[in-house]
Amino acid sequence: MSRGTVVARVIAGVLSASLIALFVLPLVALVAYTGWDGILGAASNGGFRTALEFTLLASGIAVGLGLLTGVPLGYVLARYRFPGRSVVESLVLVPVVIPHLVVGIALLLLFAPGNPVGGWVASLGIPVFEAIWGVVLVMLYVGASYVVLTSQLAFRSVDDDVLESARSLGATPAEAFLTVTLPSAARGILTGALLMWARGVSEVGGFIILAYAVYPSPPWNGPVTNPASVWIYDYYGIDPGLAVGAAALLVLVALGLFVVIRAVDRTGLFTALRGWWS
Amino acid sequence: MSGLDVEGLEAVRGSFRLGPVDLAVPDGSATALLGRSGAGKTTLLRTLAGFLPSARGRIRLGPTSLDRLPPERRGFGFVPPNLGLFPHQRVRENVAYPLRLRGVRDATVEAARWIDRFQLRELADRFPSQLSSGQQQRVAMARALASGPRALLWDEPLAALDVESRDVLLRLVRALLVSDHLPLLLVTHDPATALALADRIVVLERGRVRFDGRPELLAEVPLDRFLARFLGFENLLSLAEIDAGSDSVLASDLRAAAGPGGVVIPPGALRWDRSASGGTRARVSALRWNPGGWVVVVDEGPWTFQIRAGPETPGVRVGDPVRLSLDAAQLKPLSDRAEEGAA
Repeated sequence: MSRGTVVARVIAGVLSASLIALFVLPLVALVAYTGWDGILGAASNGGFRTALEFTLLASGIAVGLGLLTGVPLGYVLARYRFPGRSVVESLVLVPVVIPHLVVGIALLLLFAPGNPVGGWVASLGIPVFEAIWGVVLVMLYVGASYVVLTSQLAFRSVDDDVLESARSLGATPAEAFLTVTLPSAARGILTGALLMWARGVSEVGGFIILAYAVYPSPPWNGPVTNPASVWIYDYYGIDPGLAVGAAALLVLVALGLFVVIRAVDRTGLFTALRGWWS
Repeated sequence: MSGLDVEGLEAVRGSFRLGPVDLAVPDGSATALLGRSGAGKTTLLRTLAGFLPSARGRIRLGPTSLDRLPPERRGFGFVPPNLGLFPHQRVRENVAYPLRLRGVRDATVEAARWIDRFQLRELADRFPSQLSSGQQQRVAMARALASGPRALLWDEPLAALDVESRDVLLRLVRALLVSDHLPLLLVTHDPATALALADRIVVLERGRVRFDGRPELLAEVPLDRFLARFLGFENLLSLAEIDAGSDSVLASDLRAAAGPGGVVIPPGALRWDRSASGGTRARVSALRWNPGGWVVVVDEGPWTFQIRAGPETPGVRVGDPVRLSLDAAQLKPLSDRAEEGAA
């Protein structure tokens, strides 16, 4: 190996390690600062536990809706050519590029009761302002793009030959979609769902405008609370030690979910589920 | 009639127009579809399989008209160029897929029968990504046959196989065609596969059938570059290439024998020796050995000829001068059709 190659590799290694260190060290600092006592303290704090439970519920609903709407859109963008397709692709990226505080203001204006859309939603008995549906809306807005983008990539990677084989082997278009296309794209879709969940849980700006406090309304029947991220932001000014413990706990919950899903994926359970009918 | 019967089939794909194509593949026989890239082979196969709409014509499989049937009801065992194996399913799930779709009660047992037939038992629990290209091809064939097809459409089915594996599969496929009375239409670029398996050869050119007949009749067809290469001719010269060597004493014979596309110099037409006179002066530029014997590569002006020299080591070395002579009576003209049809 030439000296130039060695130097180039060392430089590349140092630069890469710097970035990885930037990703990891703040989290280590967070956990180290608060310690297990701080994390357990946050876990035993009723207010934060309620906020965390609420956030898990809202994010679960948001991810469900994101999959319900984002996967079909990803499929259409991956498999069909139509006028305006590039415009739709650009629109999917809008939530990624605009400040999320602005998202909160825009959603508030759209869903204000005096507005036709807000009035219609209110007439259906779905409160948005300072209610769980406001949180779900913000999470959907800031995160569903990831589901669309990863689904689109996953569907695009399914070879036409694979689909044509399924058809010629006797599958109707619907059977080919359910038994071949969807399972083949499942891992990409799962990745999108994880990204959406993580993005939704970490949101603050949109919540501050639309749902700083959350009042009980179905399906949230618990006490008045905040999204977990807002709760941490709030308490950072009141009780920084508790806020840091709660932040560390939130990080562990997110990482735990990520690790569990990856581990389950490696066990082949998803593969088994994907091929359940066969 | 029985078997696959295509009459006046036409299809349009962008600026490419296929047909009209007429062909018949009787039960228990194989027809190889040949042609240059872009000649329409894959378009024809995909139109027959129902993935591309036909503009005109008739497709029948036995007594059944397929024209209005969707792909899943056409009854073809279709193997596309990339094989189309399901990446998320193991080998046995891939093979069982069509059986489960058909509601076969003992799908697993039936799939195992095909897995055994294609010597895949030890690979049954693997995913396609864990298989070699040749193993993947066997899985694709087993799966296509497990679907209970009434005809087989295979696009380059043996492209990635080594010679021995290919021969084993060729024998297996041949036996299956006979035992199951299936017609097979296969696209291939491999002369060995086509000549070993096919009872009939169809050559497509610019979307139309240029030749349809028994393989041995190919020798009587006017040659173009594609066919000449397919038949194993190594020394081909276009008119421009002949003119580039007009100083050579061979040029006049080559020019006289050439067709609009140039000339083919069959193996026996070109002779070399180390005598001091006769023919034209040339120089050995390479020596190559292959299982058919030595090949002496000879440069003469702008031309390079490959001359088969038999199994004995040729008594020349690279750089040696030799004399080349030509038996003009053996030269074959090249038609220019392939040049027009190049796509």
